[in-house]
Amino acid sequence: MSVPLLQVEDLHVWFDLQGGGELHAVQGVGFTLERGERLGLVGESGCGKTTTALAIMGLLPPSASAAGRVLLEGVDVLAGGESTIRPHRWVDVAIVFQGAMNALNPVRTVGSQIIEALELHGVARGAAARRRTGELLESVGIPAARAGRFPHELSGGMRQRAAIAMALACNPKVLIADEPTTALDVMVQAQILELLDALCREFGLALVLVTHDLPVVAQLCDRSVVMYAGRVAEQGPVDALYHDPRHPYTRLLFAATPDLDDLDGRVVSIPGAPPRLDRPIDGCPFRPRCDRAFDRCAAEPMLRSLGDGRTAACHLTEVAVT
Amino acid sequence: MRGADYVIKRTAFAVVTVFVAVTLNFALFRLAPGSAVTDLSRVPHATPELRQALKKQFGLDKSRGAQYVIYLRQLAHGNLGVSFANEQPVSTNLRVALINTLPMVLLGTLFAIIIGTLTGVIAAWRRGTPTEALTVTSALGFYSMPTHWLGLMLIIIFAGTLPTGGMTNEFLINPSFWTHFRDLAAHITLPSLTLGLVLYGEYTLIVRSAMLETLGEDYILTARAKGLKPWTIVRRHALRNAMLPVATLVALSLGYIVAGAILIETVFSWPGIGRAVYDAVLQRDYPMLQGAFLLLTISVVFFNLVADLLYFKLDPRITE
Amino acid sequence: MSSVLIEAPTAPVLTRRGAVLRMLRRNPPALIGSTILLVIAFCAVFAPLIAPYGLHTQVGPVFGRPSWKHPLGLDDGGIDMVTLLMWGARVSLIVGFAATFVSMAIGGTVGVLAGYFGGKVDTILMRITDYFLVIPDVPLMIVVAAIWGPSLFHIVIVIGILLWTGTARVIRAQVKSVRERVYVKRARALGAGHLRIVVRHVLPQVAPLLIANTVLTVAVAIFDETALSFLGLGDPSRTSLGKVIENAFERAAISSGAWWAIVPPGALVALIILGCSLVGGSMEDALNPRLRVAHLSARTFRLRPLVGRENAL
Repeated sequence: MSVPLLQVEDLHVWFDLQGGGELHAVQGVGFTLERGERLGLVGESGCGKTTTALAIMGLLPPSASAAGRVLLEGVDVLAGGESTIRPHRWVDVAIVFQGAMNALNPVRTVGSQIIEALELHGVARGAAARRRTGELLESVGIPAARAGRFPHELSGGMRQRAAIAMALACNPKVLIADEPTTALDVMVQAQILELLDALCREFGLALVLVTHDLPVVAQLCDRSVVMYAGRVAEQGPVDALYHDPRHPYTRLLFAATPDLDDLDGRVVSIPGAPPRLDRPIDGCPFRPRCDRAFDRCAAEPMLRSLGDGRTAACHLTEVAVT
Repeated sequence: MRGADYVIKRTAFAVVTVFVAVTLNFALFRLAPGSAVTDLSRVPHATPELRQALKKQFGLDKSRGAQYVIYLRQLAHGNLGVSFANEQPVSTNLRVALINTLPMVLLGTLFAIIIGTLTGVIAAWRRGTPTEALTVTSALGFYSMPTHWLGLMLIIIFAGTLPTGGMTNEFLINPSFWTHFRDLAAHITLPSLTLGLVLYGEYTLIVRSAMLETLGEDYILTARAKGLKPWTIVRRHALRNAMLPVATLVALSLGYIVAGAILIETVFSWPGIGRAVYDAVLQRDYPMLQGAFLLLTISVVFFNLVADLLYFKLDPRITE
Repeated sequence: MSSVLIEAPTAPVLTRRGAVLRMLRRNPPALIGSTILLVIAFCAVFAPLIAPYGLHTQVGPVFGRPSWKHPLGLDDGGIDMVTLLMWGARVSLIVGFAATFVSMAIGGTVGVLAGYFGGKVDTILMRITDYFLVIPDVPLMIVVAAIWGPSLFHIVIVIGILLWTGTARVIRAQVKSVRERVYVKRARALGAGHLRIVVRHVLPQVAPLLIANTVLTVAVAIFDETALSFLGLGDPSRTSLGKVIENAFERAAISSGAWWAIVPPGALVALIILGCSLVGGSMEDALNPRLRVAHLSARTFRLRPLVGRENAL
């Protein structure tokens, strides 16, 4: 039985706060990713999904501390901090950020930035690198001639494609996409998603898609991890989560997304706000906003297996089983 | 050419500003109370012929409006009147003074830019460490010191070792080129060091700020994600972007450099533009004062324009 | 703005006076700066009461050396330096504040008008500001003092006229952002007059920034006055710190070796400017917090041992 491509175990991340104290942004998150699998990491803003994704590549700021294991094909790359994780960046795991203005250096041409990646990891040099850059751009639908352009000369959608092309330059095994469509308009969103879909299939890439946009997850991903207040609330195949959510948060999250097919349905919003992460939480973090909370929720729910590759951290699942 | 209209717009603005400065200059000196200031022909010890010539040249018997026009025309010919102090044309005096000031100011500014950039980058790089605190404190300290006072302090410290007054040693007779050069170098050291120290503090703070800002940009995270080594990222990505404000920074400090030059040249008796202003005030040499003020204002406008264009050249994002 | 670290901890945006004061207390540079300023201001305000000797009383020889009785020695008139410094600080601070008041009044008004009304008014006002910006301050001050005579009044007016541009720009930017806020739009929709909106909604939001800017301007004003005095254009009837330095310079203090006549007054000016810079700078930082986290520095993220409170399988 082969080792999973990516395993995250007991990941914790803290951020130092100005004026003392810390923010416990990620609180014991774990999941696995197999080759070619597509995983959606979903949750509200501030739930820790982006931080989790960054932690996989060790892209945490100096004000952060981390604990846990990040295993790439069985090897713990987080153990030695920056020095052990850097060799794996881009060649094993690559990332694409939100397609905002500044993910690419504005004073250097798009092509030069792709060439930089190629030359840094010894994939190609000089003329070969230029050729390869052209190929990469073409593969995402950008004319090779645009390599000499600056990022601000490209539209938002094209910039995002260029970022994807750059991410694929060193043939990584895992591609992390952090809110890849959030800053784009709807038509372009669809194109980018199709592109990601096609590329992942063509190159057998595993995908970690971080987003708060559920329909996107439904479209692209096989499995999903739902995060709340820095923890995993529920995890499982996307279909199962949509049709049979076990955690109240998952249910409310899916219900909060307006459904074009059900124009008469009410738009449900989740009242309240997520808990503060700079102090310890008593019991279940979702309790104040949960419509099904009961006395046992005063104790913290542990993540339990529900069979069929599903897990959830909710006391209701225990009640249901027994 | 990219952004030709931007260049034209900025240049046009500079020209208009020069015009405004010229007008202001006229207003200040010709509309002042009393004729001591306004009458350019009142050159002490001058021959009546000279007085008459000046009266005619500048139309001092005509109306203010007419005088203004004549003033502009004379300005176009480079005629700024005659100095009350040495009866030389103001423009000649200014030219000599300018040639003396430039090397000193350039040296000091260069020193400040180099040291300031170095310390600013180090402070940003070693964020949150004692190194940063020390660098920032030192920068703030020098930034707070009054220019002339710092000059005086340096004189007190280096009185025996380096010359503290004038531009050359007058007692050197027919010096060889090399001796003359060494003499100049010795004399220029303290004045330009003073200017450099006063400026470097401000530059450090600005570079540090720009660097911290740049290091928070998304593309730095992208560069990290690509697997680049931290110092490589700073060198290749951050530095270039953070240095864009340097052009603006120099322009912003120009007014300060001018003020500093006046104070420094007074303290060190350096025969430059600043000293000329001071002497002109002392000797009530109004034509010189007027000419010097105009020159200083125009040079600030000019260097502002240069900084604008430089920034434009360096930042490909500006296309408007 | 960094679009990536949405969850990064940010400092709360402070727009109320009380919050600014609280922030000041937590901030070492601001604390040091305020302490310095308070001590100096105290000595300056109460100079007539607490100065050890008379301001015009000769208590020893010209350029008397420092001693236990006179820790900072005597100046060129045999007057105690500590006394001179206290009185000098008084004058310097008065000039600084007066000039700053002028510049604040002009700059604040221009900034509010330009930011609030926008459009043509804004363009014209900003053009004028741009022209004023290029005029080098010290030369202009010298010219005015030379032509119209050196008096405290002239100095205050001139410094004020030159320093308003910085304030105007900063205030304008802030007013523009406040104007776009919902409650202002709501007030307009309800038919509130411009003056009412400005006074009740805009000014309170702008006030903290104005104060921060004022503190920084005071520093520049004091520097300008010092420079003018040194060049002999200060008010001859008042002894500011700048005048003290000038006197010493004129009377060849350096060649006499009387460093105590020159170093302390300048050091005091430097301290005042430093104090203002620290306080004003911290206030500005508190009001415009950098929402970004620096992604890179010499330090890297730290590792901690496994927690083990794993709620995952």
